[in-house]
Amino acid sequence: MSFFAMPTWEPPSGYRIPAWLRPPETMIPGIVPVELLLARTDTDAVLVTHLRAYPTGLEFILTARPHPDQLEQRGHDPDRPHRFLYHDLWLELRFADGHTPSTDPRSWPRTFETEQPDPPFLYYHGSGGSERGWHSTHWLWGLPPPGPLTFVCQWPATQLPASGVEIDASLVLEAADRAVPVWPTG
Amino acid sequence: MVWVRIGWCLHPSRRSCRSRRLRTVGPPGSSRPPTWSPGILPVELILARTPQRAIGLTGIRAYPTGFGCTLHLRLREVIPGEQSNFGAFNMFGDGVDPAGEFADYYLRFGVGFADGRKATNLNQRWDFDESPAPDPPTLRLVRWEGYDLLAWEVDVWVWGLPPPGPLVFACEWPARGISETRVEIDAGPVLEAAGRAVPIWPDQTPP
Amino acid sequence: MVPGVVPVALLVARTDTHAVLVDNLLAYPTGFDFDLAVRRHPRQPRQHHGRAHLWGDELRLEVRFADGRSADNDPRSWPRPAGDQPPDPPVLYQSTSGPDGGHVWLWGLPPPGPLFFTCQWPAQQIPPWEAVLDAGLVLAAARRAQTLWPKETSA
Repeated sequence: MSFFAMPTWEPPSGYRIPAWLRPPETMIPGIVPVELLLARTDTDAVLVTHLRAYPTGLEFILTARPHPDQLEQRGHDPDRPHRFLYHDLWLELRFADGHTPSTDPRSWPRTFETEQPDPPFLYYHGSGGSERGWHSTHWLWGLPPPGPLTFVCQWPATQLPASGVEIDASLVLEAADRAVPVWPTG
Repeated sequence: MVWVRIGWCLHPSRRSCRSRRLRTVGPPGSSRPPTWSPGILPVELILARTPQRAIGLTGIRAYPTGFGCTLHLRLREVIPGEQSNFGAFNMFGDGVDPAGEFADYYLRFGVGFADGRKATNLNQRWDFDESPAPDPPTLRLVRWEGYDLLAWEVDVWVWGLPPPGPLVFACEWPARGISETRVEIDAGPVLEAAGRAVPIWPDQTPP
Repeated sequence: MVPGVVPVALLVARTDTHAVLVDNLLAYPTGFDFDLAVRRHPRQPRQHHGRAHLWGDELRLEVRFADGRSADNDPRSWPRPAGDQPPDPPVLYQSTSGPDGGHVWLWGLPPPGPLFFTCQWPAQQIPPWEAVLDAGLVLAAARRAQTLWPKETSA
């Protein structure tokens, strides 16, 4: 008699994270046509790219990348193992109406996973990297109002002062208007 | 090659060293008791061997609540084009029917007790937190670590000690040419080793 | 190869809050590997590392042979590879590390006599501690390692 019996399949649980923590699944985003260099020093650069807008919010990727000349040094520098270097890279968005959603989890309401927070709310879906760079995927729930929209980063581990880039929020809002459902209704 | 290329990274900067660790602290039963030092029974078995692959087992690290052992997955030489570790660590996840088209790629490993109870890696309980602890024995893969495709170590935790009598280790990996094999040892020395486990702190409560 | 098992779990350090264990010692003809396991007293809460920490904060381990040769897990003491030549043993390589410890491979077998494990962990207030293992147990386990395929290249 066989020792092993393959288990019966249990279909996936169907759990999805709440709608306010992710882009709408059934829409094609509008692409925001900018690539942002938030900060650049001799050793590192911080970028925001892949901005994709929906009626409910904005998705983008934050990337931190070392200058190629840094790679050899960082691979062997015991005082700065790469896995810790990106630990305190923070991002804050500044809206024209004064809101400042940020990636600092301490600014998130405690019940954000079960109760819909007031927009805007800046969430992140995951991060990863190596000594060649770090990237994280972010979801801003709640679109900015018209006017200036500033992306500001802070990175104490590299002594980077707060620095950022301002764009016109209309680029995001127009892209959000271009988002379309995958399956048209009617 | 001047030295055995098993478990040795040629240079510290070589990126081929990979490891993955699952959480090793959890409710009682999900892993070895953290505040005990195990009794060791030196067991070194070759569970399966083909011209290309072998599965070894070393252990036993015994505690009052169960025992750990290590599977050693060995590939004799890199096989171009083959995803050699596909299915080795049961990582198929949601959405994949384990008895479906990939079934043969699952590496199966299990233990069988003399009273007929057995536990295999096919019903690993990931969610000890959310449900009452299952009846022993249960079996989990708790760590796997490798240096290249040729050598991987998989730590196994079995919750529940065997009764006296034969203790069977079974494995099977159909897609890799390893048909079901069973190796038997005497559970007596395992139980004696569990009796040699000691608590690390004298003032701690029993597990 | 399937390694030989060293039948000892070694308590290398213990304070009121933490202990360090050398566990799962497996020996080969060329060296041995083990888990460097950190255990916490049940009443000790789990710390979350909210700050980036430097290498000096991590658990330091040194292994010393009876003839005085030693190796440690400070990455600054890793030998620079010289072509295809193996480094002089012993060399200690810690392949993973984290708050629960890590996994260590020691290249080179010890001579008979005492085998010393010394550890310290300033960040967790563990001062230098030392434990001794009879190297004969490691050598006996290494002799029990089994070759899987007879023509396997070996040193």
